Amino acid sequence: MGQGGERRKFLAHAVQGVAAAACGGVAWNALLVQQVHAVPFALRPPGALAERDFAAACVKCGACVVACPYGTLRLAPAATGIPLGTPHFVAREEPCRLCPDIPCAKACPTGALDREMKDINASRMGLAVIDAENCLSWNGLRCEVCYRVCPLSGKAITIDPHPRKLSKHAVFVPVVHSEACTGCGLCERACPTAVASVRIVQPSLVQGHVGEHFRMSWKPEAAPVEASPEPPPSAPKPAPAPPGKPGNAPGLDYFNSGSPP
Amino acid sequence: MTSLTRRAFLKSSVAASAAATVGLPVSKAVLAQAKTAEAGWAWDKAVCRFCGTGCGIQVATAGGKIVATKGDPAAPVNRGLNCIKGYFNGKILYGADRLTQPLMRMKDGKFDKKGPFVPVSWQAAFDEMERQFRKAYAEKGPAGVAIIGSGQYTIQEGYVAAKLMKAGFRSNNIDPNARHCMASAVAAFLQVFGIDEPANVYDDIELADSVVLWGANMAEAHPILWSRITDRRLAAKSTKVVNITTYRNMSSDLADLEIVIAPSGDLAVQNYLARELLARNAVNWDFVKKHCIFATGPTDIGYGMRPTSKFAYDAEKDIQAKELENTLDEAEAIGQRRKAGEKVAQKSRASAGAHWQITLEEFKRGLEPYTLDYAAKVAKGDPDEPMEAFKAKLVALADLYADMKRNTMSFWTMGFNQHQRGVWVNEQNYMIHLLLGKHGTPGNGAFSLTGQPSACGTAREVGTFAHRLPADMVVNNPKHREITEKGWKLPPKTLNPKPGSDIMGILRDLEDGGVKFLWVQVTNPFQSSPNANHWLKAAREMDNFIVVADCYPTLSGKVADLVLPAAMIYEKWGAYGNAERRTQMWRQQVEAPGEAKTDVWMMLEFAKRFRLADVWGEKPLPGLKDPAFPEGRLPDVLAAAKAMGYSPEQNLYEVLFATPENRKVAWPDPVAKGHGNATVKALGESWFVEKALFEEYAQFGRGHHHDLAPFDLYFRDDVRGLRWPVVDGKETKYRFVEGQDPYVKAGEGFNFYGGAFKAIPTGTLDGVTDPKPVPLPGKAKIFFRPYAAPVEQPDKDYDLWLCTGRILEHWHTGSMTRRVPELNRAAPSAVLYMHPKDAEKRGLKRNDTAWIESRRGKIRMVVDTKGRNQMPRGSVFAAFFDESLLVNKLVLDAVDPISRETDFKKCAVRVTKA
Amino acid sequence: MSAPARPVRHFEMPGTFAGRLHARRYLLARRLVQALVLVAFFGTAHWGWKVAGQPLLAGNLSAAKFAGAVPLADPFAVLQVLFTRHALAGEALLGAAIVLAVYFLLGGRVFCAWVCPMNAVTDAARWVRLRLAVRDVFAIPPGVRYAVLGLALVLSAVAGVAAFEWVSPIAMLHREIVYGAGLGLTSLAGVFLFDAFVLRHGWCGHLCPLGAFWAVVGRGAQVRVAFDDASCTRCGDCLKACPEPRVLHFNEAARAGMVASGECTNCAACVAVCPESSLRLALRAAIPTPPTPTSAPAATGTPTEGTTP
Repeated sequence: MGQGGERRKFLAHAVQGVAAAACGGVAWNALLVQQVHAVPFALRPPGALAERDFAAACVKCGACVVACPYGTLRLAPAATGIPLGTPHFVAREEPCRLCPDIPCAKACPTGALDREMKDINASRMGLAVIDAENCLSWNGLRCEVCYRVCPLSGKAITIDPHPRKLSKHAVFVPVVHSEACTGCGLCERACPTAVASVRIVQPSLVQGHVGEHFRMSWKPEAAPVEASPEPPPSAPKPAPAPPGKPGNAPGLDYFNSGSPP
Repeated sequence: MTSLTRRAFLKSSVAASAAATVGLPVSKAVLAQAKTAEAGWAWDKAVCRFCGTGCGIQVATAGGKIVATKGDPAAPVNRGLNCIKGYFNGKILYGADRLTQPLMRMKDGKFDKKGPFVPVSWQAAFDEMERQFRKAYAEKGPAGVAIIGSGQYTIQEGYVAAKLMKAGFRSNNIDPNARHCMASAVAAFLQVFGIDEPANVYDDIELADSVVLWGANMAEAHPILWSRITDRRLAAKSTKVVNITTYRNMSSDLADLEIVIAPSGDLAVQNYLARELLARNAVNWDFVKKHCIFATGPTDIGYGMRPTSKFAYDAEKDIQAKELENTLDEAEAIGQRRKAGEKVAQKSRASAGAHWQITLEEFKRGLEPYTLDYAAKVAKGDPDEPMEAFKAKLVALADLYADMKRNTMSFWTMGFNQHQRGVWVNEQNYMIHLLLGKHGTPGNGAFSLTGQPSACGTAREVGTFAHRLPADMVVNNPKHREITEKGWKLPPKTLNPKPGSDIMGILRDLEDGGVKFLWVQVTNPFQSSPNANHWLKAAREMDNFIVVADCYPTLSGKVADLVLPAAMIYEKWGAYGNAERRTQMWRQQVEAPGEAKTDVWMMLEFAKRFRLADVWGEKPLPGLKDPAFPEGRLPDVLAAAKAMGYSPEQNLYEVLFATPENRKVAWPDPVAKGHGNATVKALGESWFVEKALFEEYAQFGRGHHHDLAPFDLYFRDDVRGLRWPVVDGKETKYRFVEGQDPYVKAGEGFNFYGGAFKAIPTGTLDGVTDPKPVPLPGKAKIFFRPYAAPVEQPDKDYDLWLCTGRILEHWHTGSMTRRVPELNRAAPSAVLYMHPKDAEKRGLKRNDTAWIESRRGKIRMVVDTKGRNQMPRGSVFAAFFDESLLVNKLVLDAVDPISRETDFKKCAVRVTKA
Repeated sequence: MSAPARPVRHFEMPGTFAGRLHARRYLLARRLVQALVLVAFFGTAHWGWKVAGQPLLAGNLSAAKFAGAVPLADPFAVLQVLFTRHALAGEALLGAAIVLAVYFLLGGRVFCAWVCPMNAVTDAARWVRLRLAVRDVFAIPPGVRYAVLGLALVLSAVAGVAAFEWVSPIAMLHREIVYGAGLGLTSLAGVFLFDAFVLRHGWCGHLCPLGAFWAVVGRGAQVRVAFDDASCTRCGDCLKACPEPRVLHFNEAARAGMVASGECTNCAACVAVCPESSLRLALRAAIPTPPTPTSAPAATGTPTEGTTP
């Protein structure tokens, strides 16, 4: 063994070390990525950043949990599908009461919750979605509990009466309006069916998006969909003008392929 | 995720996609399994337990339990639908704290008023009840005992209670909670038509062009009828809905015209409408001349408060003093053609219901002050609404009523009935419809809705009121007593001719020691009655014995001395009558839990403990003044009874209930189709109690405009209740109308044949000029009733109006609906609705806690500034279902002096930050 | 030095209760501090404890607020969040600065010995290990924790979340205690078993990147274990007591007059057992610099890991 041997030994050690770190790092990273990219079923406190940003900023300190006067918020326990230790609430058990002074967001030290938020009604914790198959009101019963408990009733939930086909009664159809629904969950909490027929879910799970190229002329100019976790698809750029090369002119491929039928 | 997403795509709506993403789809195998399990269920028709709408339901039982219910698709009222309360009919029986044993206050093994409740046997419970009843009866006579009953009594329960009290104990101190609910409607029916209950039916909703709500938040209080009105509004674009109310409520959501009025402003508005109809000549003179006369009555009738300040708290005394003398304010003075500031002694307090015929000219003279300006000034209820806008609304309302081409239905409930001038305001509505000739015809009529499932069927028709006998008869009419005594096979003069204490009277009697024994059945008066602090204290601190029969622990039970566990609706046979005269019956579906028993059984068992000798001897009755009776006494009728073949040793059960005729109605009966009968079983008898008593009761009405069908007919598979009069098996849709009502002869067109108050004196607006009664056969009365100011109004100390009422999720005092966790979750507690500016002024915002204080009490509530009720500035609303927030501690116990119905809709309070 | 001339005495646990109490005074003080911190968090979260009308100590070890006014934050957590390139609210930065300043003065790893709830777990594991004379399953260099520290920062940048915060058994245990939120018992059991049966000082001494972070911060700590070489008999009792025996390098300590390594947690376990009172907690400024550099006797060279009695 000489100097070369020492060097080889050092190199071998270094490679070993790096490899070990890489192994650990890859495994660790996989764990993180799995959690971070999991579809977030969690309802976050008001003013929460979009889920990816929230995941980055939240240090799981629970200050929002302590600040919540209704005991609504809790840190996620294991095996719930919600990233461990992050604050969330279960609407059916204890919904958000929409405190006008937003104590939870104000308590957040990192800004994972928007500390500057002024209007609690602007929060978007989720979106109420009604299961029309099981909703009592959709089926003609006079329930509409969701509408009455909604702190923004008339805006976030409206009642749209329709004639009932089976008899001379009206059906009082509750309709959720995403532009006003805060996702507070009071409706889910109050829904009297055995399993709630109105649920708060992440808008991205249920909300569609009409193509940018079309506007529904009978609707007032709708505000753009808010809080979409995905960046809105940018308008497709028009195909660049074909360069002068004759071989690329649109249609050539078709015209020149095969023989006419 | 992929599969979920794909499945979600297959669903068409956002709503459905949520089900797919969050719930598990039900597999076919699971569905099939459920089907098999349901194969053993027995379905039978029944009625919803809650409001007066009378929705039909189907009940499924298995293993002695109700396993499911469904709206009855064949029921014409609801066609398979229910409201959210009705959805839980099957669950109300199974609350965690159902009472299953008699509970009595005991100390050292003996009853003790100050002792804690201890479970006792039925035997011990009845023994103490009997002892206490005898003590009170011996000391005070028939006036010293009382029953507070209910519009939730089954027909048979009400009948047993009324007969036991009136024929057995010779006491008229039986009054239902329906007194709080629709007594004003009853008095108006009797004064206007001479007979109780509406002429129209629910089917008129589908024929109406104008639907006008007067103090009826049907969207919440009559949910299924509202669903029909909404459908009508959607189906026929020309239909207009008007909501006349003291605050914006859920019925306003549909209304084409919302008129927010001040409390009691309805009196002025309706007179304005009548004046306008006359001015526009929109009167159906042909109808009016043929079928109507004009009438009026005294205005100095008081407010139904106590005439003495002896029991009043200091803070109450200023309002109480107005009972005897009132100073007219400007609006009242103009409306009554007098001078503002005039002091008016309330001289007609005892004869508030008196009335006399007047001329058309007098009628017009009465209406003269009710100009648009005046009515608008008195009635405008929202201080933020411009006067001109409000006037335009009144004109629009007049336009709708005056339009002869429009079918017009007016509906009302508690806004009219719970009113210090509730009878007047009811009568004013008939005034409008009668002037228009739009009453009792398809699509046209003034329709009084009820709040309880059998307010009509039992409280009214059976007559569980302090002044009533079956079939619209009254105790202070000798002829009616005679008919009843004959029907009940009683010796002459058994029945007490002096009307007993109404529900407020009974509670006041408890406080002043007049009533010493009280039996509360199927109701919760200590929560539902106004000025509650007085009665809660009286119940606990006065020398009295209070029995409460109920299915769940209630506040009334808490202040009682003995609590009896009662069977609930589907645990007994029963019948209810809804607001459109539809009588519906049901079979017993399941057994009551533990030792809970039917109210009928309790009363029959109690009746067994009294011999004729105990009750039919001479009895003191202080204050009795009747030419046919000795002063202050009920005569001994035992000799006459002996002559009729009775023995003084016979007990009341044998004489009044298990009569030889009734014993012939045998149990078991094929109509039962194998269903049980808890009453018969507990009695150990073989006669069909509910059927026999129904048939006995029905005899009173048959042939007398109140015909009920034979018992068995109601159980026929194709019958979903029948609207009386049922003559020759045919129900009646429209009363008083030729071709519809079997009592109206051909050629008469209309015949308002009701017999009550059909001979009255003649006079002017100012009083009687000729006391000789003039008979008015077949006529309806068009009353002039003036504006009267509410006796308590907001002032500098108590600066807000308080209105109480109901919400869709809970029923009455919540004793059943609050046992359903889902309903409790949907509406956990009552909140104080107030205008955001009123809240702000007091340093309050939504969800803050506030003190609400009146002259009578003080409670804390959470404030809500939006939601189902949106108050105008100056008014607040709180529902009364919440036992922990006893709104009735605040409410004034003023009642309509004619109907004795409480005004829950207006009193003065102040609100401060808690 | 003259030390070897003196007879070697060993530490003996006093027989009296008071004596035992005195011998364990630092341990008891640490437990008390650890418990007080936990109870303050717990009481604020569950019983609404307040000071001057404000929540006493709202949050947890990751971030907290004292009396509604003084923000506190774990600088390592904040650093990870910064590596995610997420803009942090100023409060967290201020809180981290405050905490950093405090521990910079007290000694970074004071956190490990006096605050961290895992400390009690690892101490218990150590006790079990000694009782059962467990041997290590394998050996890894104690420096691995610095690699983990580096990796945590790199992964924070790569994955976009605070890498260690999301898996930290310390945070899990603390959240479990304060909020009852999940996996705390699992992490507790894992660390305990690892320390007791797999590797001595396995978690705190080898893997924990938070400890590594504080070790880096703690180099300039103003509170240190002062070492009086003159009285030391090299009995080695301190080495047996020390959870990080590497830091007790007599030669270096003698040269500096104190335990200079940032890895020292100031737990004072060595102070409590030193029969000659050669070790004591002292302010750095008050520790006299030894006059001349000394060379350590060969017999007391660098102690080896795993020395067992």
